Amino acid sequence: MKRLQSKAAGLAYRALFASALALTLVAGQALAQTSNPQSVTANWGAAQDPNQAELFWGEHQAGIDTKPQHFIYFAVFDLTTSKREDVVRLFKAWTAASSRMTQGETAQPLESGLQLAVPPAPPTGEDADAAPDPGKMAADSGEALEMPAARLTITFGFGSGLFVKAGKDRFGLASRRPEALVDMPTFGAIDQISEMNSGGDLAIQACAEDPQIAFHAIRQLARLAQGVAQIRWVQLGYRPMKGDRHLLGFSAEEKNPTMNAPQAQTVWVGSEGPEWMRGGSYVVVRRVRFALEHWDSMPQAYQEQAIGETKHHARAAESASPSPSPSPENSLVEEHPAGHLSVVAQGRDAMLRRSYSYNDGVNFISERWPPWRQGLEYDAGMFFICFQHDPRTGFIEVFDEMAKRDYKLNQFWTHVASGLFAIPRGASQGEYIGQPLFEAR
Amino acid sequence: MTKVKTLILLNILLASVVLPLRADDNKSFLSTLRRQKTLTSTIPHNGDLNPYAIVVAPVSAGRIQKGDVLIDNFNALSNLQGTGTTIVSYNSASKKLTTFAELPKNNPACPGGVGLSTAMTMLKTGWVIVGSAPSTDGTTRTLGAGCLMVLDANGQLVATWSGPKIAAPWGNMATIDNGSTASLFVSMSGFDVPGPQVRDERGYPVTVKKATVLRIDLSISESKPPVITAQTIIGDGFSQRADKDVFLVGPTGLALGRDGTLYVSDALANQIDAIPDSATRTASAGTGRVVTKDGLLRRPLAMVLAPNGNLLITNAKNGQVVEIIPTTGEQLAAQWIDNNPAQYPPGNGDLFGLAMKLDGSGFYYVQDDVNSLVEATR
Repeated sequence: MKRLQSKAAGLAYRALFASALALTLVAGQALAQTSNPQSVTANWGAAQDPNQAELFWGEHQAGIDTKPQHFIYFAVFDLTTSKREDVVRLFKAWTAASSRMTQGETAQPLESGLQLAVPPAPPTGEDADAAPDPGKMAADSGEALEMPAARLTITFGFGSGLFVKAGKDRFGLASRRPEALVDMPTFGAIDQISEMNSGGDLAIQACAEDPQIAFHAIRQLARLAQGVAQIRWVQLGYRPMKGDRHLLGFSAEEKNPTMNAPQAQTVWVGSEGPEWMRGGSYVVVRRVRFALEHWDSMPQAYQEQAIGETKHHARAAESASPSPSPSPENSLVEEHPAGHLSVVAQGRDAMLRRSYSYNDGVNFISERWPPWRQGLEYDAGMFFICFQHDPRTGFIEVFDEMAKRDYKLNQFWTHVASGLFAIPRGASQGEYIGQPLFEAR
Repeated sequence: MTKVKTLILLNILLASVVLPLRADDNKSFLSTLRRQKTLTSTIPHNGDLNPYAIVVAPVSAGRIQKGDVLIDNFNALSNLQGTGTTIVSYNSASKKLTTFAELPKNNPACPGGVGLSTAMTMLKTGWVIVGSAPSTDGTTRTLGAGCLMVLDANGQLVATWSGPKIAAPWGNMATIDNGSTASLFVSMSGFDVPGPQVRDERGYPVTVKKATVLRIDLSISESKPPVITAQTIIGDGFSQRADKDVFLVGPTGLALGRDGTLYVSDALANQIDAIPDSATRTASAGTGRVVTKDGLLRRPLAMVLAPNGNLLITNAKNGQVVEIIPTTGEQLAAQWIDNNPAQYPPGNGDLFGLAMKLDGSGFYYVQDDVNSLVEATR
């Protein structure tokens, strides 16, 4: 235990150093933003120290306009309690632990053992002897000890299940469900979303420059939630160390600077939303599996047409279509729209994209598009994430168009997980995340 | 029996008369087509996929309007083949797609469960009959014998038919419909089909020559579901084979010629066969007479009779529909109706079901690659 304590002291020093560095950078960012004060991504081009700490407290939760870190661990929880006070305790515990971990500290002070958000009732009956005492467990699982803050951000979201679930108003919050927190529509041909991979009551996005730091954060928060909430589904993701090409081999964002530069009013909820959401946002997440084996067999020309971009500037595609091409006289050809980028162009600035690639190895896949294949295939693609002030005019509008018209590319991806969460505004020191919602009269 | 035969032949003759004949009846039907239009996604609210059968409603009844296009789905949301349970309906006036029927996944009277296949028809009396070739894992490892299910015109299940002559009803149905009686022609491709892991000496899944064509004669009393009066195997010995990717390959297209000959597309043999006297024969013709083989055919699937008496056949292995003269076997033309370059050759694996429009001006077909109903017209 002593050893842990001494490491914790060391961490505190590193956190202080990191915080100072972060403050310096934030000041720099503020200067940078003056040139384009409305852009929420003005600082994304600036260099960042991968070891630094990101600020936790503030008007907006971190992890939205924060320059994307290289790793993400996204977790969706279901609330297992029926008591509102348990949910409040959970967010108090999560806020406290997150404010520590983002500064490079352990989730809780190590001295007093694990303090669950809601202490369990004393065990009784035949299981009494089998129930472990949380107070005898380490307050932190320890895999992040001696590691820097690594730009960890932890962002919390509320799913519709917090407000109403299966018609039940479990926590007396139904009347406060924001209009914009709609039930997500299905997107026809591109959706293959099961109950187990969608929805959820709460979401936590942990982003960091080290995958172990991101997982550590989720792991600690899930521990604290015992008896109150349990994990429903998760997704890990990463961004390449250089550039931002996704697994289809393109870098659309890089070539379209406006793609990642929406205006502040596009991202942050303003006076149109409930008071507790002002300064917050809405996040839509989608696990999009790419049919990589099929994609890799396509001519470069097809890929470039499907995306609407050049893949290799040094090697131009030679042919526009694979042979044999149907000749005009024996073909009933229906015109299809141009590539992906032109289909989604209208909604380019309607949301802030902050996506990651994901790679879950191989799994048994029953391929959705010809050539028909069933067997072990790559389970990899994009964990698409976007923030907007209203998903009805952001993601939903854009994706509806995409699902209907993105003919060339829709055959190469399947949306297999989905979530929409209200991201409440950030907290000031001494508050907890979601406090204005839970304590509003 | 002679009376029945006369009635059936009369019916076939009448059917041929009401179809619009053109001045040059020997001209290719495909050459008259100029336009292709995607009408609707075929995915219903529950996410079922992989549209197979297409039937154009011959009458208005219940929730169905004459001319509505009924389409069934072979896959559930999981995309496992042999698990789809829905029939959707497209109304060309409103341009709306609705779910006509969502069948229970577990129907105890249907061995193996429900996975709706290309075998579907609608009778003049409003009854819809649809086949099930079910699995639980998307492969023939778990293939059940399946069944034929009878729905009323509101999409409610009213009867289920199974038995020793019914095994994975597979191909698009041909139908003789006299109102109070009817005959259905259905190919059965599930007799003793092993899982796709069982291979022959060439390394392919084992080909089993046990597929049949079954004629099911029906009696239909007013307001009562059809009753089977006879089941006759009129063709047998067709090739069937498991496939780990596309589930099952077997005789798929059935179409009645004007003289009562039933034409069968034998996918594995890459040929079209003819079974004479299909409505009246009491014994199997085996695989019948070979009408045409290879040439423009690339694993023939669904098949319909065009207004000029020629057969239209969709290819599995490219995006073409092929027209042949059934009496001579001459292959007149092939036309691309799916040129999706995301497959090689274009459209490979995209086509399946096919149905003529009621006015004979074109046909409907499905594009499996994008789960859509498409129309090809003049």
